[in-house]
Amino acid sequence: MTTQSAAVRKEKTRKKERYGRDLSLGRRLLNQWDIQLMVIPAIIYIFIFCYIPMYGLLMSFQDFSIFKGFWKSPWVGLKHFKAFLAAPDFWNIMRNTVVISLLRIFFGFPAPIILALMLNEVRNRTFKRVIQTVSYLPHFLSWVIVSSFVFSILSVENGSLNLLLLKLNIIKEPISFLDENKYFWSIIVTTGIWKEIGFGSIVYLAAIAGIDPQLYEAASMDGASRTRQIFLITIPCILPVIILFLILAIGDLLSAGFEDLLLLGSNPIQRPVSDVIDTYVYRHGVKTQRFSYATAVGMFKAVISIGLLAGANKLAKKTGNSLW
Amino acid sequence: MRLLKKGLSIALIMVMVLTSLLTGCGGKDNTPATVGDNNTPKASDGQQPSASAWELGSEELEFSYYHHYSWYTMPNWGEDPASKWILENKKVKINAISSGGDAEAKMSTILISGELPDAIWMERGAEVEKLRSEGLLVPLDDYIEKYPNYKKWVMSLENIDMLRSPDGKLYQIPNWYTSQPNGNTGYVVNKKIYEALGSPKLETTDDLYNYLVAVKERFPDVTPLEVGEGGDGIEYLLSAFKENRSGVFYGSNYMAIPQDGKFVSLFTDPAYREGMQFVSRLFREKLISPDTFTQLKEEVDRKVLTGKVAVYITSSPTEMGSQGDMELKKQDPNDGYFMIWPIAKPGLDRNKIYTGDYKELGWNVTVITKAAKDPEKIFAFFDWLTGPEGQCTVMWGPRGLYWDGFTEDGWAKFTDAYANDPAGRDEMTSQTEPINWAGNTVFVDVSKAQYEANLPVEKQNWQTRFQREITWKTQQNTTEFININPAGDSDEGIIRLTITDIFEQARASAIQTAKSDAEVLAILDEAERQAQAAGYQILLDYMTARWQENLNK
Repeated sequence: MTTQSAAVRKEKTRKKERYGRDLSLGRRLLNQWDIQLMVIPAIIYIFIFCYIPMYGLLMSFQDFSIFKGFWKSPWVGLKHFKAFLAAPDFWNIMRNTVVISLLRIFFGFPAPIILALMLNEVRNRTFKRVIQTVSYLPHFLSWVIVSSFVFSILSVENGSLNLLLLKLNIIKEPISFLDENKYFWSIIVTTGIWKEIGFGSIVYLAAIAGIDPQLYEAASMDGASRTRQIFLITIPCILPVIILFLILAIGDLLSAGFEDLLLLGSNPIQRPVSDVIDTYVYRHGVKTQRFSYATAVGMFKAVISIGLLAGANKLAKKTGNSLW
Repeated sequence: MRLLKKGLSIALIMVMVLTSLLTGCGGKDNTPATVGDNNTPKASDGQQPSASAWELGSEELEFSYYHHYSWYTMPNWGEDPASKWILENKKVKINAISSGGDAEAKMSTILISGELPDAIWMERGAEVEKLRSEGLLVPLDDYIEKYPNYKKWVMSLENIDMLRSPDGKLYQIPNWYTSQPNGNTGYVVNKKIYEALGSPKLETTDDLYNYLVAVKERFPDVTPLEVGEGGDGIEYLLSAFKENRSGVFYGSNYMAIPQDGKFVSLFTDPAYREGMQFVSRLFREKLISPDTFTQLKEEVDRKVLTGKVAVYITSSPTEMGSQGDMELKKQDPNDGYFMIWPIAKPGLDRNKIYTGDYKELGWNVTVITKAAKDPEKIFAFFDWLTGPEGQCTVMWGPRGLYWDGFTEDGWAKFTDAYANDPAGRDEMTSQTEPINWAGNTVFVDVSKAQYEANLPVEKQNWQTRFQREITWKTQQNTTEFININPAGDSDEGIIRLTITDIFEQARASAIQTAKSDAEVLAILDEAERQAQAAGYQILLDYMTARWQENLNK
C-alpha cells in the first residue's frame, strides 16, 4: 500500500507542475488549452440542453395549455404539487418506488461486481471472452422482447419454469407467478439483474485491469492465496469506482425503472406493487396531456434525488471517495 | 443518462414552445380572420351558385395525413395495389405522418410545434372538439353540397346531427358509419370438439358451464373458453346476464350502466355482480386460461389456428375464426369453427341479448385542418373514397380483378374470381383495407351479402355468413351514447382516470384472486367505496348530461 501512495504523490507533484494552483486561473486554463478544448463541447452541450430548458420547470406552477403556450397559461402556484401529495395512490407509489429501488441496490448493485471479480479469476481467455459477450448481450434487447420472454417462461400453461418444477416434483400445481403480487418484486429484480449484469460488469473489469500487477506479484510472494488477493488488493483498488456508482445509484433511488415496470406490470392486478413514480407520471400526466402535473411530479422527484445524492456524497466523503 | 434524456426532452418541448410562440402569434391572428372572410359573404349571397366541384384526378393532389393511433402505420403509399391504382389514376399522393408508436406524445408535439398536418384520422369526441374550439379545423358544410357521396351516404344517417359540432357545423368524415346494424362480437365454437361431446345444447350460461367442464375433462390440452388477450372478451360474456344491455357497458369505455335516463354505478349493478361471479368461477376452475391477462395476441391466435380452443369470445372473433376455420379444414374437412347465437342466463330471452354494439356514426373520423392549402380537394378525395368506386378499390383492389362495375341498384358487381379465389381475395383485402379511412359499412356489407347469399354454403365467406346470420342481429345500437367521455385534462377526465385504475384492478382481482363468490362481491363493494371517494358520481353526472344532450339533438 505504501508503494501505491508514493506513486500517487509523485503523480500529484507532476500534475502540479503543469496545472499549478499558484498560477492565476487564466494562466492555468491557457496552459492546459488542449485539454480544455476537449471539455468545451460537453459544457456547451450541457448548458444548452440541461440548463437553458430548466425554465420549463416553471410549467409545474402553471395550468399549462398547449393552445395558450407558456406565456399565456395561468399561474396556479403549488396546485399540482398539492394534488400529487394528496393523490390517493401517493403513499403506495412512494412505497413501491423506494422498495423496488432498495431491492435493486441490495441485489442488483453487487451483482456485476461479483461477476467482474469472478471473470477476473478466469484464466482461459477464450472462455472469459465468451462469458463476457454472452452476459452483456441481454443489455441490447429491448424490454418489449425481454418481457415477452418472461411472460412465456413464467406462464401457467406450458411455462418452462412451471414445467421444470412440476417434472422435478417440487410443486404439484403450477404456480401463477404473474397473477400474484407476492412474486412481482422478485421477478422485476431478477429480470433486471439478468439483463444488466454483463454490461454493468464492464466498468469494473476495466477498473480491475488498471490495477498494478506488481501488487499481485508482491502479495503472492508474501504467500497470499487468490481469495485473499481479491479481498486485499482487487476490491480495495476498485473501491473508488464502486463508491462512485453507489452514490449515483442512491441519487437515482426514486427512479425505480420505467419500461420494465410498465411492461412486466401490464396485468392490472400487479398495479398495487408495480406502480412507481415514473409509470404514474406516464399514465396520469403524459397520456392525458396534463403537462403541468407531470412536470410537478418530475420536479418533486428531482428535488428529492438531489437531496439523496448530496447525502450519499457526504457519507462517501468520510471514506475519502466522494464525488465532490 | 436518465437526467440527460429528461433534460433533452424538456429541451425539445421548450424549443417547440418557442417555435409555437413565434409562429403561433402570427397564425392565430390570421385564422379567425379567414373564417370570417369565408363565412360572411357566403351567408349573405348564398343564392349564388356554388363553384363547380373539383374533379379528382384532374390534377395532382398531395397532402399530409396524421393517423392518431399508436398501433397504426400507414402502408407505404403506392406499394399496395389499391394505393398504387389511386396514385396512378387519381393522382393522389398521401404523405403519412406516423405516431411513432406513441400517439398521445405525437399529438402534443404537433400541437406545440404548430405544424399541423393537412388531415388527421382520430377518435370522435373530446379531442376533436378541442381542436375545433381552437379554430384549427375546416368546416365541411360547403363542400358536402358539391360532392355526391358524403351527401348520399353520410347525410342520410338518422343521427347525423350527433356528428355536428356545438356550432352546428360538420367537421368530421366518419369511418365505418352505418344505417344498419353491424359488428362482429359473438361466440365462436370449435366444431370437432363440439361434435365429439355429442353436440349439446348451448343456450344458457348453465349449458356453457357444463360444456366447458366437459371440454376440460375430455381435452385437457384445449383451452375451454378463450377470452382473448387481456381478457377482452369478458365484458361481452357478461352480456348474458341482462336483456337489452350490450356487453360494452361493462368495459373500460363506459364503466357505468345507463338506467332510466341516467348513468349509475357499475360496481353495484346486480347483473354485473352476478356475471363477475360467474367469470370468477370459470377462472377458479381453470375453464378460462390462467394466462389470460398476460398472454399476447399471437398466443391467442396460435391457439385458435391450431384448434386448441373450444369456445372463443372477443370483440371481433370473426377474423381469427374465419382463418382458423380455413386452417382446420385443410387437415379435416369436417373440422372448423362456427358461431352460435348469444348465451343467456336461464330465464332470459335469448333474442334480447346483445353481445356487442354498433354506432351509426361508426368508429372514428377524419378531420381536415386549417393547415391544408386546398381543403376542398382533400375533401373531394375522401368523398370519392367513401363512395362506391373508392370503397371497392380499397376493399377488393383495383377494378377488373375481383369486382367490375356496379349492379343496377348501385352495389358492387363481383367477378367470378371473387367466389373462386377466396384466398387471393382475402389477401387483397388484407393489403388494401388499412387505407380505408372512410369505410362505408352499408355499401360494403350489402354488396357482399347480396352476392354471397346466392352462393352455396361452402363457397360463402365464413365471416360474411356468420355476420349475416348472427352477429349483425345481436349488436345493440348505442349511437345515443357517443362522445360522452370527458377530455383527459378536464376535472372529470382526471376523475375518470382514477376510476379506470380502480375498475381495472377490481376487475382483475375479482377474477384472478377471489377464492369464492363472496370474495368477488367484497372486492366489488370495496371498489364502489373507493370509486365514490374518488368522485365517481361527478363522472356519472357528466356522462348523463352528455347522453341527454345527444338525445335532445
